[in-house]
Amino acid sequence: MYAYIFRKLLYNVPVYLGIILFVMVALRVNDPVMAYLGKSASPESIAAMRSEMGLDRPLISQYGTFLGRVVTLDFSERSWEQKRPVGDILGRAVWPSLAITVPALILSTLTAISIALLSAYWRGTLTDRTLMFAAVLGMSVSLLVYVVLGQYFGAYWLPEKLGIPDGSPLRFAISGYEPVVAEGLRPDNWLRYCLLPVIITVVLTIGYDTRFYRAVMVEECNRDYIVTARAKGASKPKIMFVHMLKNAMIPIITHVMITLPFLITGSIVMETYFRIPGMGQTLITAINSKDFPVIQAFTAVFAAIFILTNILTDVLYALVDPRVRLS
Amino acid sequence: MWGRVVTAAAAAVALAAGAGWLGQAGEAAAQAGGGGGGGAATAGAKKVLQMAMRTDGPKSLDPAAGSTQYDNIACSLMYETLVTFKYNDPKTLEPLLLAEMPTFSADGRTVSFKLKPGVRFHDDACFPGGKGRVVTPDDVFYSIKRIADKRNGLKNWWLLDGVIEGLDAFKDAQNASLDAGKGFDYDAAVAGFKKISETEFTIRLNKPVYRFLYTLAQFQLSVVPREAVEKYGKDFGFKPVGTGPFVLDKWEPKQSLAVNRNPNYHPVLYPAREAWSREDRRRRMDRAAGQAVPLVDRMEFTMFVQDQPMWLEFNAGKLGYIEVPNDFFEQAFDKRTRSLQPALESKGITSHSDVLLDFIFTGFNMEDPVVGGLSPDRRALRQAIHLAVDQNEINEALYQGINVVYDGPIPVGLDGHPEGGKAPFSLTTPDLERAKRLLAEAGWPNGRNAQGEQLTLRYYTSNGLQQQQMSELYKRQIERLGVKLEPVLLDFSTLIENVNNKKAQMFGFAWGSDYPDGENNLALFYGPNESPGSNHYNYKNPAYDKLYEQILSMAPSPERTKIYEQMRDMVIQDTPYIGSMGRTRFYLMAPWILNCRPTERTWSWLKYLDVDESKRSK
Repeated sequence: MYAYIFRKLLYNVPVYLGIILFVMVALRVNDPVMAYLGKSASPESIAAMRSEMGLDRPLISQYGTFLGRVVTLDFSERSWEQKRPVGDILGRAVWPSLAITVPALILSTLTAISIALLSAYWRGTLTDRTLMFAAVLGMSVSLLVYVVLGQYFGAYWLPEKLGIPDGSPLRFAISGYEPVVAEGLRPDNWLRYCLLPVIITVVLTIGYDTRFYRAVMVEECNRDYIVTARAKGASKPKIMFVHMLKNAMIPIITHVMITLPFLITGSIVMETYFRIPGMGQTLITAINSKDFPVIQAFTAVFAAIFILTNILTDVLYALVDPRVRLS
Repeated sequence: MWGRVVTAAAAAVALAAGAGWLGQAGEAAAQAGGGGGGGAATAGAKKVLQMAMRTDGPKSLDPAAGSTQYDNIACSLMYETLVTFKYNDPKTLEPLLLAEMPTFSADGRTVSFKLKPGVRFHDDACFPGGKGRVVTPDDVFYSIKRIADKRNGLKNWWLLDGVIEGLDAFKDAQNASLDAGKGFDYDAAVAGFKKISETEFTIRLNKPVYRFLYTLAQFQLSVVPREAVEKYGKDFGFKPVGTGPFVLDKWEPKQSLAVNRNPNYHPVLYPAREAWSREDRRRRMDRAAGQAVPLVDRMEFTMFVQDQPMWLEFNAGKLGYIEVPNDFFEQAFDKRTRSLQPALESKGITSHSDVLLDFIFTGFNMEDPVVGGLSPDRRALRQAIHLAVDQNEINEALYQGINVVYDGPIPVGLDGHPEGGKAPFSLTTPDLERAKRLLAEAGWPNGRNAQGEQLTLRYYTSNGLQQQQMSELYKRQIERLGVKLEPVLLDFSTLIENVNNKKAQMFGFAWGSDYPDGENNLALFYGPNESPGSNHYNYKNPAYDKLYEQILSMAPSPERTKIYEQMRDMVIQDTPYIGSMGRTRFYLMAPWILNCRPTERTWSWLKYLDVDESKRSK
């Protein structure tokens, strides 16, 4: 297994280098200097800014410098827009994103698996069709609609109608974010600022997940070992939860593992509407303001996590399914 | 089965909540020692004013590095300039760090200043004993020199380029010294700076320019202490030390900014009752007349990138005032009458509108072989195109009809702006018949030349949604002449590049006045300012240039206004652009905010705001 991991890492090195090079080239198609200097830029100030940004050096030199920083895990380069070290910016931004994406992933996965099991259990019946109809309906609604309506009704309209005072733990914040440890322990901050975005994320993703997991379960239903279990007189719940669920875990694990790298990216729309200072908001702001150091650092981190997650997924396969041999 | 499902669900919720809390706890650990989280009122704060910033906020709290309106807002809380614009009359300057307005010598080149005695910088660790010291002329010179330091990007050098005697030479010499590794010597002399005493100094200009006073009111020239810049270095943008009415408490970039009252603020009084107009007195703007400011103990700004959360927070009573977003305009106002919606009025919310010093236009490149030049046929061509464009239709379609359409480049409210927006020679009223006649005079009858080729114009603009819609409108309007219009949609940087390189035949742009004087807009047509300067049209008219050079040294007066009007009419006749339009901002104020009459011409008025806690709904 270790040989397999080492080989996979080695194979992915050129992929990683290629991703970084591609992003650096793509960024430099348009000149960012004018975005920072505005309408009154003189040729002299343009040259000064370009020199300060390091854009007057050849691309290969910029690439080499950046790779050197990645290899030494040096994220001290300052953001062009915020003038703070990019490591500091990304380090602060990842936790608010995780505060939403991790609970949302756990909740949506468990809920979707439960619903998919029920749907597969009663497949072909009215219950199954109703659940799938609801899933498709949920999938058909845009993320923006969920966010806008969720914020309006969940954080404004309903509390106003019910007369829930501001500051009450029963009232979701319209926007904003405060950590759970701020001048003392404040667990209510998570409920106030993060729970509504988590609920919206779960509602948004549950349709997709449910349909996928149901399809996995239904496919397992037709396997020989299920037929054997039925023939041996096993009860339907036992077949579903003991035999089928275990074997359906591989595609479920794959699905969850693929999602893991995206936990740190957060949701751009969610974070901008709810003013969560997470990675999504940080990234979109950096892209809009052409903040190359932040975008490049984000790419380097995300690409590494994605590659490592893929390798980890393969390793987990081998652990979960004894038939799988890594070679 | 159901029991297991319920148990699993309960475990999932507990696990999820735990994961979320751990995530936030991890963040708190990561931020330990650095200060994190949003702003909350400090213990003992009496009057707290909550405000919105409709963007992700300032990029820096260092005035020399600032450029955006939001940098301006933030810096105006903590720093001050020598002069500023009056709150009761935002067109007029008044002394702020000065004891009195500066005076000009007979030749107009030497400006004499007298600092207000006893003005201190904020208490900060950069000073001995942590006590802020008194401002001196050296601080003024130092702050100006910082604009010339290339380590600040020379972002704001345009304010002082060629203005102060010896400053350009200082800039070149010190930046060369920097490049040679010898450092930037702030103690090196500038010929035009002369310190007379601890409060008096003079600045000598290269030539007499009245706008120098407006330049001194720009936030980028706020006075900063050398000790703080040297102590904090690159982090000075996060640790502001100024003389302003507030001191920084906490700044979470892109999230929030909180400031507390400066306990050592020098005496500044709310404008006297007689300084306000009758209309303003009717609105009780004079209620705090003569009181020392600031009137609140703390201000908390929240940054909103999206409009909905800002709108909802205001309606929930959490913000003092907001600029009304376009998407919510009809929820706030009756579109036809512009009166406040009854639902808002019943809550005690009031409104205010202010026409910005905007000049929204579509320019022609006067060096273009097809549309450029001052010959009668080219002038006729440009006038024809101008007359085909219906700016009122554009206003209705894209701006809810709230913009102001006017003749000439001088915005509403400034000397030289035509009365009622109509100049003696006007092109803003669309006239298709007249346009067709002019097009024929230009040699393009029905949009085709003698060889039968159709006139095709390329219109360069940025690729935002509104600009795309504008280009579609233009296309439809201009094609009524038989002329073809090809929009070229580009990102902003590429658009500027094309305009600066004189490649854009027609281009959609806007200019926001840097100060409330028509000279700022008339400079856009001054020949030597051609691209890559601000004269993006590359308009060159010697008669116009001569008049411009004449007005530079003139203070506001009827004589100067007459020349402004003459220059305005010359530009309208020559038609180097299609325009003009100025945006109108609408604001809503909560019932508990007092003394609020928002304007974007200056931001030093924030210290005059007050709150009436008894009017906040529980």
